[in-house]
Amino acid sequence: MVSTDVGVWIAAFFTIVATSYAFRDNIFFRFAEYTFIGAAAGHAIVMGVKNIILYGWTHIAGGEPSYWIPIILGILIYTRYHPKYYWIYRYPIAFLVGIGVGISIRGAIHADFIKQIAATAKPLIATTPLGTLNNIIVFVGTVTALTHFIFTYEGIHKGAAGWIPKIGRWMMLAAFGGAFGNTIMTRFSMYQGRIIFLLRDWLGIIH
Amino acid sequence: MSAWEKLAALPREIVLTIVLIAMIVPAIRPFGLPIMVGKMSKDWYNTVDSLPEGSIVLFDIGFGSGGYPTLGPCAVAALHQMFEKHLKIVIMATALEGSMMYPLIMEKVKPEKNYGAEYGKDYVFLGYIAGEQTAMAAVLGDIHTAVKEDYYGTPIEQIPLLQEITGPESFALVAYLTTSGGIAEGWVYQAYSRYKLPVVGGFLSMMTPSLKPYYDAGALKGILDGIKGAADMEYMTRHPGDAMRATDILSATQTIVLIFIVIGNISYWGSRLSKREGEK
Amino acid sequence: MSEVVRKYIPLLITFIVGVIAVLDFYTTVPAIRGTFTVLKNWGIVVTAFALGVGAVNLFKVHGKRIAERGELWPLSGWLLFMLIVFVVVGLSTGKFDASWQYKWIYNAIMLPLGATMYSSLCFYMAIGAYKALRIRNIDSLFLFLTAIFVVLGNTPMFPAAFPGFFYAREWIFKTIISGAYRGIRIGVGIGAVVLGIRTILGLERGYLGRA
Repeated sequence: MVSTDVGVWIAAFFTIVATSYAFRDNIFFRFAEYTFIGAAAGHAIVMGVKNIILYGWTHIAGGEPSYWIPIILGILIYTRYHPKYYWIYRYPIAFLVGIGVGISIRGAIHADFIKQIAATAKPLIATTPLGTLNNIIVFVGTVTALTHFIFTYEGIHKGAAGWIPKIGRWMMLAAFGGAFGNTIMTRFSMYQGRIIFLLRDWLGIIH
Repeated sequence: MSAWEKLAALPREIVLTIVLIAMIVPAIRPFGLPIMVGKMSKDWYNTVDSLPEGSIVLFDIGFGSGGYPTLGPCAVAALHQMFEKHLKIVIMATALEGSMMYPLIMEKVKPEKNYGAEYGKDYVFLGYIAGEQTAMAAVLGDIHTAVKEDYYGTPIEQIPLLQEITGPESFALVAYLTTSGGIAEGWVYQAYSRYKLPVVGGFLSMMTPSLKPYYDAGALKGILDGIKGAADMEYMTRHPGDAMRATDILSATQTIVLIFIVIGNISYWGSRLSKREGEK
Repeated sequence: MSEVVRKYIPLLITFIVGVIAVLDFYTTVPAIRGTFTVLKNWGIVVTAFALGVGAVNLFKVHGKRIAERGELWPLSGWLLFMLIVFVVVGLSTGKFDASWQYKWIYNAIMLPLGATMYSSLCFYMAIGAYKALRIRNIDSLFLFLTAIFVVLGNTPMFPAAFPGFFYAREWIFKTIISGAYRGIRIGVGIGAVVLGIRTILGLERGYLGRA
């Protein structure tokens, strides 16, 4: 049975209108697009205010005056719009960049570098011939893909060793093909959710 | 225009209409095809299954409206398994819209009704915490100094589950579902690299190739690979839902895409060969 | 003095905070741990303030468009109206996103729009597969072959008829994709670490913005 919920009808309207862009750009899609941008920005403000109160003001009210520092730093972000004192916003940005970079470097060294090299430096010979072949392909793929990105020494892409980065290029193209196959599945799987919403929640054709 | 070129010149409206029909028909008349469960999903399932009853899991909702059609079913199936196992779950959101996904997911899981779970004792929701990796590091490092209230405004001193957490070692597992590469990498850096906690991750299928190296290296113990992972989880937990229904739609739409790829290549090579014949 | 205050002190802040973050990982000194815990918690608050920057930019751009009666200016007015509606509903009940009113407008407006905007790219994938995925040379042959086998493996209908498609997909992921992407991941990791070290040392200053 067709839904009588106003919210469901509004959601169905926006779903159909947002889909219409795939066929042709039109004013209804523009309306949906502008609605989304405004709503998203409003939502960001609501969540920002909530976090400032929960993670900043609650600490101050609980007897931790040091939390005035991040609140002042946060307010200083908006000095970027001032024609003369815009440079003050560098202080909070420097703080955020320092934390962000420091926090991620330590993990990147371990997970992206050490663990990946350790995973590659394993015996190639496995218990079965197929296992051995798989290990060789993974090893060759890793080394040749890395070699493809060496640009500091020009000779590696030319001459006798030029076939190594070339194999890396083919391995990466094959990998990107697999990734493309997954991307097709991702996009279709996202849209099927809207189809199910329209048929089930809005029109009541399926259950 | 030659016959070969006409083959490749179908108007886009026709292509899109065919795709839409391929989505609608199996939604109305499902095929009911069998599911073949992948190894990555099995490893997620087994990792959670191996946890003793009462273990505390940190569960991150790292997606919003864009990821909901795919990762929503993943979250529902994953939480069904965790509640069935009587695990305790601390749920948080590192995505801006994550806190809006929570009620939609819990409406389907119904932990109180289905599993006799009690909010505050068996599970708690902290809401959205800004900062991505900063938030992860803060919650894992010292949750009591980072968080003062839960999503509903209850002070954490009044939440029994949070009193059981004394540090990162209190978490037996970190599980996340996200559409963001930054969040996916972030949990590996902050939970696995920093505290050596076991981590399982779920993300969109198109992110799987770039994040699979973490699974191969042991940083991720299991992966839920988009809608396929969600369907695998629904099958393994015996809670059929939107993901298993979606597999029929995927069958039809991806078959259509394959047909289009073949037609496109036949037309391309047909015109190329006939041009060469013409030149001879 | 001016350059010290405008440039060097922010660089010093980045250096100090970044070094504390890195030392927290590699040492067990309680003072460093304690300091970093405070800095992390502060970081949540500062990031929360940054969430409003997008809205300020929207007011600037669309406010100007409305004032000058620029292109689609009524839609600009609607955009700012929606922004204000979400903020008013979100902040007026005291429960923020937990209020039923906010959940209602989110589920009616933002959820369908967000879900559809991201997913309607599927139609472009269909058109792209039709017009662009062609075997033109040996390079595209590699891309094409793995794409086809992965799509065949992902389409439940084909493994149901012939399980080999499922195992072929699993094999492609286990070997080709794992190998190549591991190489890419190591390269990305090296790049991220080098860029991070340069940023902490003050050699990368792009984040400071205009001079």
